[in-house]
Amino acid sequence: AFLVPAGIIACFLPLSDASSFVVLYIVTSVYFSGVMVRLMLVLAPAACIMSGIALSEAFDVFTRSIKFQLPGVSGNSQNDAGDASSGSVVTQKTDKNEDSVKERPSKKNKKKEKENVEKASIKSQIEKRLLVLPLEASVIAILLLVLLGAFYVVHCVWAAAEAYSAPSIVLTSYSHDGLHVFDDFREAYAWLRHNTEVDDKVASWWDYGYQTTAMANRTVIVDNNTWNNTHIATVGTAMSSPEKAAWEIFNSLDVKYVLVVFGGLVGYSSDDINKFLWMVRIGGGVFPHIKEPDYLRDGQYRIDSQATPTMLNCLMYKLSYYRFVETDGKGFDRVRQTEIGKKYFKLTHFEEVFTTHHWMVRIYKLKPPKNRIRGKAKKSKSKASSTTTSRRSGTRKKNPWH
Amino acid sequence: MEGLLRLRLALVFSVVAHLSLLVRSSSLSSPELQIVNAERRIDLTSHIVRVYLTLKVENAGTSPASEILLAFPPTQVDRIALVKATATVGKKKKKSYLPLDVNPTDLPDAPNGTKYFSIAFSNPLGMGESVTLEVFYTLTHSQEPFPVEISQSESQLVYYRDSAVILSPYHIKQQITFIKTPSTKVESFTRVEPTDRAGIELKYGPYDDHPPYSFSPIIVHFENNNPFAVVEELVREVEISHWGSLQITEHYKLVNAGARHKGIFSRVEYQSRQSLSGVSSFKHLLARLPPRVHSAYYRDDIGNISSSHLRTDSRKSEMEIEPRYPLFGGWKATFVIGYGLPLQDFLFESPDGRRYLNFSFGCPLAETVVDKLTIKVVLPEGSQNPSAVVPFPVKEHLETSYSYLDVVGRTVVVLEKNNVVPEHNSPFQVYYNFNPIFMLAEPMMLASAFFLFFMACVAYLHVDLSIRK
Repeated sequence: AFLVPAGIIACFLPLSDASSFVVLYIVTSVYFSGVMVRLMLVLAPAACIMSGIALSEAFDVFTRSIKFQLPGVSGNSQNDAGDASSGSVVTQKTDKNEDSVKERPSKKNKKKEKENVEKASIKSQIEKRLLVLPLEASVIAILLLVLLGAFYVVHCVWAAAEAYSAPSIVLTSYSHDGLHVFDDFREAYAWLRHNTEVDDKVASWWDYGYQTTAMANRTVIVDNNTWNNTHIATVGTAMSSPEKAAWEIFNSLDVKYVLVVFGGLVGYSSDDINKFLWMVRIGGGVFPHIKEPDYLRDGQYRIDSQATPTMLNCLMYKLSYYRFVETDGKGFDRVRQTEIGKKYFKLTHFEEVFTTHHWMVRIYKLKPPKNRIRGKAKKSKSKASSTTTSRRSGTRKKNPWH
Repeated sequence: MEGLLRLRLALVFSVVAHLSLLVRSSSLSSPELQIVNAERRIDLTSHIVRVYLTLKVENAGTSPASEILLAFPPTQVDRIALVKATATVGKKKKKSYLPLDVNPTDLPDAPNGTKYFSIAFSNPLGMGESVTLEVFYTLTHSQEPFPVEISQSESQLVYYRDSAVILSPYHIKQQITFIKTPSTKVESFTRVEPTDRAGIELKYGPYDDHPPYSFSPIIVHFENNNPFAVVEELVREVEISHWGSLQITEHYKLVNAGARHKGIFSRVEYQSRQSLSGVSSFKHLLARLPPRVHSAYYRDDIGNISSSHLRTDSRKSEMEIEPRYPLFGGWKATFVIGYGLPLQDFLFESPDGRRYLNFSFGCPLAETVVDKLTIKVVLPEGSQNPSAVVPFPVKEHLETSYSYLDVVGRTVVVLEKNNVVPEHNSPFQVYYNFNPIFMLAEPMMLASAFFLFFMACVAYLHVDLSIRK
């Protein structure tokens, strides 16, 4: 991969149509990979081609030096030169690109046109004389190049194992006492699978839809096949609303369990609080009462003491940080690197039924609706309300402000 | 004159009384035996109830007795997992125990549906002779949680119902019962005088001279926070491969059979105040495996469960498994444990030329009750005449299963048993005939398949199928 610039230079030396195409390809793919990192996929073949060209040119030089200087070969240098050059071109074609050539052997190897060979060999012989390196140096250089290739393979395998093979469902980290495994997602799904009723519905953000369906074997409200924007907006609105309104929305969808992913205790940064801005934007796109500026302080989403009251009251905040302060006494969120704003609060419409070992997945259950709906006068004692219930139920609609 | 009449009346009356007594005693089930002294120790420390009964039996009748009956109320007899009896032989220092056969029996005129187990004496008990018997039986699912649902911060209280007086078809002269509870917290217990309580032991008795079939029900309400680990269904598959290894796969459905968990589960309380919160839940289970175990795995439907530890030494292996989440009351988990063992530890040849597998029955998890246990022993292809020898009654049948490179299929011996406790972990044997020639069947099959393929290629290349030369 680090041979790419050398390859670009090698492409320019005889600038043919093929080599200029490759140069343009690599320049555009570098630009696009810089814009969006996922487009590095496009850069990969271009980089491979370039490095291949560079490596093949290097090998070319060295093997020719060796062949030129081997005793007994220089006698047939005329034929052998031609053969060697054509042979080396054929063998060093590492990728699907046509090599830009210094000599001009034809691609048709089987036809032995003596005149072409003669002409080419004389010309190439003159050129080659100028480029011959000492024998020992070229042997060592070839060995080094082979070793480089071998180490590169080892490095690639290691990089693929370490950086590209992370299944995002099991997280690992290296601590002072070895490997620490965070298997919280599967723990939560296994719990849902075994300890809830078969018909119970689970509401979460759409990222976890397929995982919940496959591993927990429960019905979800929205999943990764995000084809119904209004439905996703409904869930987003529910997550952004205060508890009572969220309970109403979830109850209308017949949801029993709500699942949130919270990375604040262990420092897992792809949790639902970080995705919250999308919940607000998508919800606000369909339901106009969700306004994004309500959640922003100075243009930023915050959850610390400077957060807006709407943010501190929304369901996502409450479900993520419920009793979080009791873990360390201060409620320090490792992902946002700040203490949370509202630390002590109770949930009125939800109850916590399961939290995984590292607090990464938290599952809440909707509380069933109260049997008796009290009026807006919150100061009435229960005895008084029981005697006046019958009267109040008749007069409830008249004057809510007693 | 009057005195003589009264005397004669009294004489007649006493004769009639004695006759009636004789008649009545002869109509009882086993009139000759009498229990001179009975001591019962009920151990309630685990969720499996273990009862140790020491009976000193005397033959007060006129003919030798060959068996003695143990009586159980019908509610208890369904939950009995195991009954064992031994006879004590020898005096103080030279005591030895002879195991005796115990079989369930039924008597036609049993009062209130009592069920019996009969213990056969090794030699019939002569007249006037007495013998001391040690009986041991276990009961499962006998501690019912009350309250039925508890929250995370409460501890678990259970009921145990039994009788203060030992139910027996014989007259018991003297008896005493000790009940051992797991902790000193006993909510209540029925008093049947004389009753005494000291620390973790409750004493009922001594009671004197109780007639046969006397029963006085008692309930003990106490705290038991030991893990109520019950495996609802366990399927153990033991696959014998004559190429040198035994592969075992076990499928578990585990449940916490204690008081059901209601309400919230708060992880912060569970992690911070461990002695107060979730005391009746359990997180670890220990599986005792034979030594030299290899390739052990622990997974469930979703994938590998990484929280397990395997410790091996030369005499045993211990696998400590942690289900993905702690099991509170009523919570379930399912998982699969698999491991391999070297064949030479378990497969032997019997003197009559048959091979047999000597393996331990039962569940390797410690202190767990298995409601339904199925053991499948997969014999290699070409085995004939399979038969199983198990030290206790099981349901047996045969199946066929097909595995790699099978032509006729492998015979599977399936053994089923309900209500299995750790005391059932004794070895059982499966005998079968196997002709050693059959070991070559698989390699010959593969070799001949490749040989034929290559021959066909060679033939194709050398055969001249052209019409014209």
